[in-house]
Amino acid sequence: MGWIGNGVHTGLPLALCLLVNQTCAQAPEPAAGPFYLTLHVAGGTGLVALGGGYRLARQRLEPELLVGYVPRRLSGSKPLAIFTLKTTYLPWSPRLGQSRWQATPVTLGAMINYTTGQQFFLTNNSAGNYRPGYYWWSSAVRLGLLAGTRVNYGGPHQQSTTAYAELSTNDLHLVSRLTNRSLRLVDILTLGGGLKRGF
Amino acid sequence: MVLLLGGCQLVEFSPNQAYVPTQERGLTRQQLTRLQTAPAPDDTIRFVFVGDTQRFYDETEAFVASVNQQPGIDFVLIGGDISDFGLTREFRWVHQRLRLLSVPYLTVIGNHDLVGNGRAVYQEVYGPLNYTFRYQGTQFICLDTNGREYGFNHKVPDVAWLQQQLTDTAGTRQTVVVSHVPPQDEDFDPAVVPAYTAALRGCNRLVFHLGAHIHRFTVGQPYQDGVTYLTTYSLQKKRYHILTVWGQRKYRLQTVTYGLDW
Repeated sequence: MGWIGNGVHTGLPLALCLLVNQTCAQAPEPAAGPFYLTLHVAGGTGLVALGGGYRLARQRLEPELLVGYVPRRLSGSKPLAIFTLKTTYLPWSPRLGQSRWQATPVTLGAMINYTTGQQFFLTNNSAGNYRPGYYWWSSAVRLGLLAGTRVNYGGPHQQSTTAYAELSTNDLHLVSRLTNRSLRLVDILTLGGGLKRGF
Repeated sequence: MVLLLGGCQLVEFSPNQAYVPTQERGLTRQQLTRLQTAPAPDDTIRFVFVGDTQRFYDETEAFVASVNQQPGIDFVLIGGDISDFGLTREFRWVHQRLRLLSVPYLTVIGNHDLVGNGRAVYQEVYGPLNYTFRYQGTQFICLDTNGREYGFNHKVPDVAWLQQQLTDTAGTRQTVVVSHVPPQDEDFDPAVVPAYTAALRGCNRLVFHLGAHIHRFTVGQPYQDGVTYLTTYSLQKKRYHILTVWGQRKYRLQTVTYGLDW
C-alpha cells in the first residue's frame, strides 16, 4: 500500500505539473454545474458511502453529505450507518493541455461524522452512566482531516466525472500519534476514494 | 477485494470496525495454544501482571524489552484497558508491540475496551469476555467486571458463570481470578459486590484476586474474609509485577521498575 501512496502523492502531481506547464497560470474553468453526487469507498466513513453536495467559491469548495454503511460482517455487531459532513478545498485545478481532463494535484479537507448504534454515546454526560469528565471524547462523533488528489473529465457546460483518492486521519488517532513517538504518521492514516458526478 | 484491502491498515471502513485480518483474530485462543505447547518444568508458575496499556505505546515497547530480559517467565497477563477509545487500530497497535514478547500474553477486558464498538472489537481480536485456562494445575478465571459500562444492570460480572468455574475443580490445584475493575471500586456494580465476594470467599483454592483499573499497586483483604485482592500498576508507571505461584496457594510478589527517564 505504501507503493500506491507514493504514486498518488508524489509521482502523480509531479507528472501532472510537467504535462500542464503551459496552462499552470490559467484560472480553473468551471467543470460542470454546481451539484454533484458522490460514491465514496472506505476512508473510515463506511464500506461505501453515497451522497452529494453543491460546489461553492468558484468551484473550489465542495461541501457534501455522505451516508455510509458498515455491514455486520465488518462491524461485528449490528450494521452501522455513518453520517458524514465533509468539505473539500481545491486550491489549484489546471486543465491538462487542450483536453477535457482537469487535475487537482492536492485537495485538502475536513469532516465530521456521526456513527449510529446504541453502543455509541454523543457525550459522556448524555450516556447517563458516567460522572462528568469520565470519558472526555464522544464515541459517536469523529472529526477528521484529509489530503488527496483527483482527476476530472468533462468540458465546461457539461456533466463531469471526478475520480479522487485521499488520506485522512481522525481526532482520536491523531491524539494517539501526538502522545506517542513510536506511532508513525502512516499508522494513523486511512485511505479512501471515490467518484463524483456533476449535474 | 474487500478482504484483500482489509489486511492493510490504511484501509479502514470505520475506526470502530471489528474486522481485522485473520492472523490478528482470536488472539486469546492463539496465545493459549502457544502457552500449552511451551515446556513447563514444574508446578511453579511465574507470570508478569500489568494493567492499562491504553494509549501508552512508547511505554509498551519499553515494557516488552524489559519483560523479554526476565528469566523464567511463563506468560504475561494484561489487566484490561488495552485500548483507550475502544477503536480497532488501538488494539492492533498494542498487539503489534505485545506480539514481540518472548512469551504468550493474555488479557482481560477493561472498561475502556467496551467504549463505542469496543466490545465487538475485543471479541473479534481476543475472544470471549469471560474465559478460563489451566496451566500447571492452576486455574485462571478471567472475567468482565466493568459493571458501569452496562449501566449497572446487575449482570456484570456474571457471578453464576464465576460460581460454575470455581466449582470445576477437575485438574485444579489452585485458582486465580483476574478482572479489570476490582470489587472495591465505584465502577464495579455495587449490587453484585456481595455475591461476587461471597463466591470468592467460598473457594478455598483461591490464591488471590487480581485487578487493575486504579493504576496503582494495592494489596490487602478489604472484606476481612481471608481473600487477598491485589491491583497492579498501569503500564504508564513503568512498573510491573512478577507473581510466582507454587504449592498450595503460596505466592511471591516482585516489582520491576524499568525505563531510564523514570
